[in-house]
Amino acid sequence: MASSDPHKLMVKADKLTKLSLTRWSADWKSATQLYEQAANGFRVAKNIEQAKIAFEKASQGQEMLSSPWDAAKHMESAAALAKELHNWREVADFYRKASELYNECGRSQPASDALAKAARALEDAVPEDAIQLYTDACIMLEEDDKEQMAFDLYRAATNVYIKLEKYADAATFLLRWGLAADKCNATNSQCKAYLSAIIVYLYANDFKQAEKCYNDCSQVDAFLRSDQNRCATKLISAYTEGDVEEIKRVAQSSTISNLDHVIIKLARKLPTGDVSALKKANAVQDEEPLDENDLT
Amino acid sequence: MSVIDILTRVDSICKKYDKYDVEKQRETNVSGDDAFARLYGAVEADIEAALQKAESASNEKNRASVVALNAEIRRTKARLLEEVPKLQRLAIKKVKGLSTEELVARNDLVLALPDRIQAIPDGTAAAPKQSGGWGASASRTEIKFDSDGRFDDEYFQQTEESSQFRQEYEMRKMKQDQGLDMISEGLDTLKNMAHDMNEEVDRQVPLMDEIDTKVDRATADLKNTNVRLKHTVTQLRSSRNFCIDIVLLCIILGIAAYLYNVLKK
Repeated sequence: MASSDPHKLMVKADKLTKLSLTRWSADWKSATQLYEQAANGFRVAKNIEQAKIAFEKASQGQEMLSSPWDAAKHMESAAALAKELHNWREVADFYRKASELYNECGRSQPASDALAKAARALEDAVPEDAIQLYTDACIMLEEDDKEQMAFDLYRAATNVYIKLEKYADAATFLLRWGLAADKCNATNSQCKAYLSAIIVYLYANDFKQAEKCYNDCSQVDAFLRSDQNRCATKLISAYTEGDVEEIKRVAQSSTISNLDHVIIKLARKLPTGDVSALKKANAVQDEEPLDENDLT
Repeated sequence: MSVIDILTRVDSICKKYDKYDVEKQRETNVSGDDAFARLYGAVEADIEAALQKAESASNEKNRASVVALNAEIRRTKARLLEEVPKLQRLAIKKVKGLSTEELVARNDLVLALPDRIQAIPDGTAAAPKQSGGWGASASRTEIKFDSDGRFDDEYFQQTEESSQFRQEYEMRKMKQDQGLDMISEGLDTLKNMAHDMNEEVDRQVPLMDEIDTKVDRATADLKNTNVRLKHTVTQLRSSRNFCIDIVLLCIILGIAAYLYNVLKK
């Protein structure tokens, strides 16, 4: 049976599932078996489109047989094939379906893995969808108290944000990462996430935000006591003084070199924009209140 | 005769013949009338005592006692220096029974006194005398340059060796700093790696627990299955059943052979 033509198997299986006058209930068990064989045959024959369809039908069969695990596995295979066909919408759909099926089994880890695979596949083509998928995957893990596993997802999502140059979103995501790290007592990752957020704000030339971020993060005890905090302090003070040399020196330091390589690239490019203008702005701000006092 | 006996005998003899000691008589006689001589004698005795103390200090190993001795010596010196002006005034006074030469000599003695007092080593840095008056300097702990700030004298120029030495020292110091910088960077990397490893292992702990429970369950299932299998197999292939099977087989073969023979005929 395995050696026979996959097409014939498909036809046979279809016949088994189609309801007609002679057939009152579909025989899903044998049909699913035939579908699986056909799918494998198509895959070997490199007939990707057909293989994908076969896997879809096999998954449906498994669902009918109330085994969501197998159904989800087939869905994943189908999605992988869809990826090769560059059929992005289908990729997203299939992986989402697979993730739902995994959730039905009560296994959140494979569910989020499925979403992560989808996101990785869509990173280049449809980055917004990829980000959405990453976020959903993180939420799924966090609901199940598995934040530790989510770190890789956070990292990947941040990279996508930075590639899209959405720096504010990237920084927000980094702060979420910090929160997740805090919940599982991963202080090193937490401090690195906070430092990365500050750097991203500085790169986006948003000094106010960076300062605010720095102040907020300093409320966190673990960050206050860390190396990364010292590095952040140096960076912020170098910015307030408008000292370009100092900024460059801090960016070369080893603390920053321990961060994610995308963040390192941003740090090495600091300072963006006009730092001396920042200094003047700060100086002007200090003078204005005095004027008001004089008037009153 | 033991040493102690000798000493006691010598002491008693000395005491007996003390009245014949001319110098001592003169001293006591003289000091009776002469205030200067009295005071001078006292000062001399003090100086001698101080010098002795200085010598014992230089031989002393215990730092605390050295410090204490030095402090005493300094106090004595200060006191003696105060007495010197008094001595000077007494020196110029004319005393009966004294020649002019002796008066001048007394003046000279008094003038020499301050130097002698200063020369008593007390463990602090003392200015070296130009005339080589390093007499009682046994223990100098610091060297002080007393050149009135004149450093262009040839004596003070850096010799070639000393400047080379200084250069080498600077170079070595720089190299050490560089090495230490590299070590610190390496340590930073190690620290970061260790932290990451820590977090990774923490991440894997619950996974390992899960694996543990699952494997335990699987082992229990396997054991169960094995036991059941054993039961089934023994049931099927127990020796009694086996013999019965063989016997019946022989009977059937016998019947078959008999039938064959019958039919062949």
